Amino acid sequence: MLDAISAETLKLRRHRATWFLVWIFPIGALILYSIAIMVQLGRGLPPSPVAPELETWLESAANFWGLPRSGFGRIIVTAYVAIVFAGEYAWNTWKLIVPHRARPSLIAAKFAVSLLLLYAAFFAAALLVNFLGWFPEAVKGDAMPEGITPGALGMAHLKGLAASLPAVLLSAAIAALAAILTRTTAAAIVIGIIVITLEQLFTTFAPVLSLYLPGVVDGLFTMLPGYHLGNLTSWILDGSGRVVPFPDGTTVAWGWEGSLAMVAAWIAGLMALSFWRFGRQDIN
Amino acid sequence: MEPVLELADLSKSYGHGERAVHAVRHVSLTVGPAEVYGFLGPNGAGKSTTIRMLLGLIRPSGGELRLFGQTLADSPSPLRRVGSLVDGGNFYPFLSGRRNLEVLARTMGRGRERIDDLLAQVGLAKDGGRKVKGYSTGMRQRLGVAAALLGDPDLIILDEPANGLDAAGIQEMRVLIRSLAEEHGKTVFLSSHLLHEVQQLCDRVAIISQGTMIHEARIADLLRHDSGYRVEASPITVAEAALAARWPTRIDGEALLVDATREDVPDLVRRLVGAGADVHSVAPTQRNLEEVFLSMTQSEGPANA
Repeated sequence: MLDAISAETLKLRRHRATWFLVWIFPIGALILYSIAIMVQLGRGLPPSPVAPELETWLESAANFWGLPRSGFGRIIVTAYVAIVFAGEYAWNTWKLIVPHRARPSLIAAKFAVSLLLLYAAFFAAALLVNFLGWFPEAVKGDAMPEGITPGALGMAHLKGLAASLPAVLLSAAIAALAAILTRTTAAAIVIGIIVITLEQLFTTFAPVLSLYLPGVVDGLFTMLPGYHLGNLTSWILDGSGRVVPFPDGTTVAWGWEGSLAMVAAWIAGLMALSFWRFGRQDIN
Repeated sequence: MEPVLELADLSKSYGHGERAVHAVRHVSLTVGPAEVYGFLGPNGAGKSTTIRMLLGLIRPSGGELRLFGQTLADSPSPLRRVGSLVDGGNFYPFLSGRRNLEVLARTMGRGRERIDDLLAQVGLAKDGGRKVKGYSTGMRQRLGVAAALLGDPDLIILDEPANGLDAAGIQEMRVLIRSLAEEHGKTVFLSSHLLHEVQQLCDRVAIISQGTMIHEARIADLLRHDSGYRVEASPITVAEAALAARWPTRIDGEALLVDATREDVPDLVRRLVGAGADVHSVAPTQRNLEEVFLSMTQSEGPANA
């Protein structure tokens, strides 16, 4: 398995499109924050004498982690994973490697390496955003809250990372399955984006839709992963679940255990489908 | 000695019922150690489908496939002893030739030690650092051969290894393949449309047409089997009359072409002498593999599986 991971790493490190889709996060953060710092310092504003609350400051320090679980972040993740998986069909290179490795280990290596590289980039971007957010405050001499410790900062980042994981894993699982089923990069990206967009639209508009299809929409709302992703994020970051009222007077409010089980089932199910389909697929 | 490769009733169909397309039907063959085995057939005959089944790329619809005595259904591990070149070499275009071999070596769980030697062996020592997307067809083919040899395999499966190579490249490939069998004891299973090359390279060949294996034989037997005899005798009309009653015979210039076998030769000579003809020579006509191949693949249905 380590050999397959090592081979996958060598491949992905050298491929421009995948490299770009991973490192766009820290590079984008660097560019945007550099511009913001220049504008902020260029205005010559006086230092803020009032320190924000510690919790607010920590949330702001780790706010990068909101990007991977956002619609935009998930689309980037989808495109990246689609290229990683469908690329082998486009380059016709499954024929090179499939005879030498059990198929499940090739798919497992792809998931492992693509997610590890992604999280390496996320981690770099999160630290960069943290530093570049603090830098103008320090230059201006803004007041800082008491109690900023490496431990508190680390916990804020850990919570952000944990909140991003379900959405990123789900997006990756959708993209991988789409790539294996369609065997083309473009189709996999398009299908991945459509599925994720529909999922987010449905989660947003389900209460309204339930006016037209009561019962069906309510059931789908709790079966599909959209609500559970948001609910888990709320539990991780705020310590309380998401309560969604429906027009018929009912509310959806799951505990974290139930939502975690639902999201895990979706991710495991989609990944299992990828393994099963690829295991039986003819490489023509 | 245990066969390296055994196919028994191997079949592959796409679709179901009346709409099913039978790409390969009940192909059975056995390849022994250190043998160079040719797999011939016209385009669409099922050669590539069979090779892909051998490599675990395509699942057979029926039959059995054994590599080194093991079926792939039991374990994919026998494929670790197999090197292959399919579709002219498939590589990551954004990586150099050397990096591609490195990816493959890592996938196999092997080190990089052999890479430079193999690149030199296939004539890519200078171009190993260039990205594959800049390679010519012939260079990709050479890299494909290096990839096939990377794991020091016992069985090497080559699908059209001479594609894209110039005359010198084809000759080098021929020498390399023969040396793999004769000096290193490797088994080579190759498909090719260059029948002249196959004739010079292979110990045995199988001919496949419309998914069905129509003939398997040693090259020498195949050429002799269908060759007949060229008889020079005079007067030719007397000789023709003496032989035509027994064997299909036709006049070819100053000689007769008689569709007889080696076992028929004594009887053939007796008939000529008995008829009062002077016999100057009786020699087997050497048809080349191309003629044999065309005569077999253009005729309908299986003749001798």
